[in-house]
Amino acid sequence: MIDIWLLVGIGSGIISVGAALYLYYWVMRQDAGSERAQEVARWIREGAASYLKRLYIALTLVCVVLGFIIAIVFSFDLTQLGTGSVDVEPMRGVIMAAAFVFGAVSSAIAGYLGMGVAVQANVRSAVAVSDSINKGFRVAFYAGSVMGLTMVGLAVIGMCAIFYLTGEPEVILGFSFGASTLALLAKAGGGIYTKTADIAADLVGKIEVGIPEDDPRNPAVVADNVGDNVGDVAGMGADIFDSYVASTVAAMLLGAAMTGPDSLKYTVFPLILCILGIYASLIGIQFVRVGKNGKPGPALNFGTVITCIIFGAMVTALVLLGGYDLSTLWSTLIGLVVGVVVGFTTEYFTSEEYKPVKETARVSNSGAAITIITGFSYGLLSILPSVIGIVIATLVSFYISEASGVITGIYGIGISAVGMLSISGMVVSSDAYGPIVDNARGIAEMAGMDHSVIVKADVLDSAGNTAKAITKGFSISAAALTVLALFAAYAEIIEARGISVEISLRNPLVIAGVFLGAMTPPIFSALTMLSVTHNAFDMIEEIRRQFKEEPGILAGKVLPDYTKCVSLAAHGALSSLVLPAFLAVGLPLLVGFVLGPDALGGFLGGAIFTGVIFALLMSNAGGLWDNAKKFIETGQYGGVGSEAHKAGVVGDMVGDPFKDTAGPSLNTLITVMSLVSSLFAPVIAAFHIF
Amino acid sequence: MTVHLYLSLIPEALIASMLSPEEFGAYYAVGTQKKSRGQAIFFEIDPKFRSDFFHIEEGVKRCVVHEDGSPKSSIYISVYRVLENIPVDAIQSLYLTTQDGRTLGLDKSTQFPEDEGGLHLYREISPVSPLVVSSQGPKGFYELIVKNPTSLIKLPAVCFAELRLGDLAEDPQKGKIGDLPYKNMEHLRNCLVSLKTKFVMTKMVDRLPSNGIPFRTVKNGFFVGNQKKMLFFPLPDEKELVSKHYQWWRSATM
Repeated sequence: MIDIWLLVGIGSGIISVGAALYLYYWVMRQDAGSERAQEVARWIREGAASYLKRLYIALTLVCVVLGFIIAIVFSFDLTQLGTGSVDVEPMRGVIMAAAFVFGAVSSAIAGYLGMGVAVQANVRSAVAVSDSINKGFRVAFYAGSVMGLTMVGLAVIGMCAIFYLTGEPEVILGFSFGASTLALLAKAGGGIYTKTADIAADLVGKIEVGIPEDDPRNPAVVADNVGDNVGDVAGMGADIFDSYVASTVAAMLLGAAMTGPDSLKYTVFPLILCILGIYASLIGIQFVRVGKNGKPGPALNFGTVITCIIFGAMVTALVLLGGYDLSTLWSTLIGLVVGVVVGFTTEYFTSEEYKPVKETARVSNSGAAITIITGFSYGLLSILPSVIGIVIATLVSFYISEASGVITGIYGIGISAVGMLSISGMVVSSDAYGPIVDNARGIAEMAGMDHSVIVKADVLDSAGNTAKAITKGFSISAAALTVLALFAAYAEIIEARGISVEISLRNPLVIAGVFLGAMTPPIFSALTMLSVTHNAFDMIEEIRRQFKEEPGILAGKVLPDYTKCVSLAAHGALSSLVLPAFLAVGLPLLVGFVLGPDALGGFLGGAIFTGVIFALLMSNAGGLWDNAKKFIETGQYGGVGSEAHKAGVVGDMVGDPFKDTAGPSLNTLITVMSLVSSLFAPVIAAFHIF
Repeated sequence: MTVHLYLSLIPEALIASMLSPEEFGAYYAVGTQKKSRGQAIFFEIDPKFRSDFFHIEEGVKRCVVHEDGSPKSSIYISVYRVLENIPVDAIQSLYLTTQDGRTLGLDKSTQFPEDEGGLHLYREISPVSPLVVSSQGPKGFYELIVKNPTSLIKLPAVCFAELRLGDLAEDPQKGKIGDLPYKNMEHLRNCLVSLKTKFVMTKMVDRLPSNGIPFRTVKNGFFVGNQKKMLFFPLPDEKELVSKHYQWWRSATM
């Protein structure tokens, strides 16, 4: 029966990828518009392709090095480490390394396809929206669905195939680590790229020269539009792919750690949830349609809610008919509900419909300092509902599962995380829609389309911003539950080696670990944001140089050299990743090998707590400042160009690296650190100084 | 090639140029040759206009194409006291150029805006450029500072724009603050209140406004007049600007 589920999983993954390919070709059949529009889209497409090429070269190098290390380390029978004699099984090391590479490649393919369709759909959405908002919306959302469906499809194929072939969830850990490695490069690199271009384009274009947003005279305008894709499509997709796989493998490891005849059944249960999630997303996507009111936001929200209901019904049927303990149903549902609720509470703090954004816009009349203080304070407050949601999901799933006497409490938490992420197909579809319509608006502007098209593209864009904010809240909460499960998996792996993990605050090694771990997310944030400012200054110099050497650019007679800025952003983003990557991969190993497993446990705990807090604060405060500025631009408190607007622009600029660089990258950071720790836990258990 | 005569208001200058108004605006604002930067406001003057005060003929003669065949961008004929020495009848269209070189042309209108009452905010553009509040409508303000001044101060000619005061026009003490081209709101309120409580018809708010000409806050248009006559150049409303002059409007509202 287990094998059948795994084969069904592979088949479902293929169906999901097939549906994505169908949508890809549907999008490609849409009208690509005038020659001018196509030319602008081509600039963006070529910029995105050149960044992806560099990213994948960097990934290949990382894969070769890490794959080699993994192949060697896992060639040894880790269960015998420290016993005096260790058997060498080279095949095991090769399988682990292959799983690692497979994970990275699967995530890369999903990102490639997602971004490939996004840079084709942007211009098509701009053309379609000139007919109607509904048409423009459909093109953008179906293009976003290509990313969502490919991502979940490839993830499920990968996990099911590995478990079918090896029967060991630990090998899926390698797959997950591969996906996380790409996610770290894609998310942090994409975040640095997008904000480097955005800030440089604004500082010189808007402030020094006085040209508006998306003006084709700005040499950084293409890099800015490319950045939307590499940060929000490829980056966010890789991030959720990573959390999706990590949560599943964590729950599988915890299922495998349970004793009893049903251990295997519960080990595979997370995979079955993923399979059901694929079908729920496939059906849910059909319900996403803009109604007569022409509002895309409610259409996206309706699709998410419908997907949840369908998924909930499917899981109920599975648990009742499949003979699973009812606690698995409650754990799944609590994760699902909390995920959606946290997503929508994020909307409260970042949407211009509600008090936090309105209040921040109102006080902007008094200057940028008050804008920053107010937005930051609401950002801090926004932590509250998400943390309460995470606490509720953790406690409810733990105690219900413990009370069942069938599954462990910690397994329940793992299932809760999987429940939250199971509808990722739908969530990523909505998220990837955002940068596509953002680009569509930019293309409409750059290609000189009629103002009515820009107005309609604005309607699509504003719904995309809200969708992005909801996804960020969702992905941070999901990552928090995932790493809690991974944390437990780490402890299980260590204890399986006969070493008791004692994570007590009375232990000075644990205290040291907690402090070091708690320090890591802020340091990581600082490094990535400093990279943005450093790279932005290089790009600013380039933009100034072009304006100075070719005055015809500003006069609109000569096109700027867009490729220079695209290249600077790509090179700067990837070369800035060395230190942050060391923090994510090297620091946990350093702490583990030097201070031991207890300290590493404390390290992970500290990193998880500050990571979640920082991620929520930065993402929400950044989104809030962005929308406060947009709210002023609607004509409130003086509108564009007013003193309130100038303060709003400062807030937005501060918030940009918060919400698009550091904040969302922290999910990946804590996931990578937890995965590295779990993967190398047996080695750390055998070799540590303290 | 045709030689145009332009009366620039920032700075005040009479210029001969082979560029069309749109090209001249871009050239003037983003400085393809001279590296000069910033907003521009200029009138096109009747090309037949001649005056003993200016060496126009000499300037026109020097305005010849370059060796490579490109048009001559500018020959400065005169700076300082230009506006007062050009009869308003010689003034044709008004052009507003944004800081990034987008130009909007405005034609004169025979119809002046009606005075809606309340208080007014004016930005003088030439020959001096303070921000002033007044209890007088545009015509009254022009009469007050050019034709029939009640004090010793008298301008030979003036160009100014009325800016939107919003709710403050009726209720300077408690009115809601909208988009205003001045940061110190309390000071602005005090100036407006003094128009109601003291026997003054104008009050200077800011001697040297630092934010250029805020096109986005212009209420109805631009006024230019001398001892004899005043002209009015209405600015289209926001709806028309957005639909017909979108590129200019975007740059103007930066």
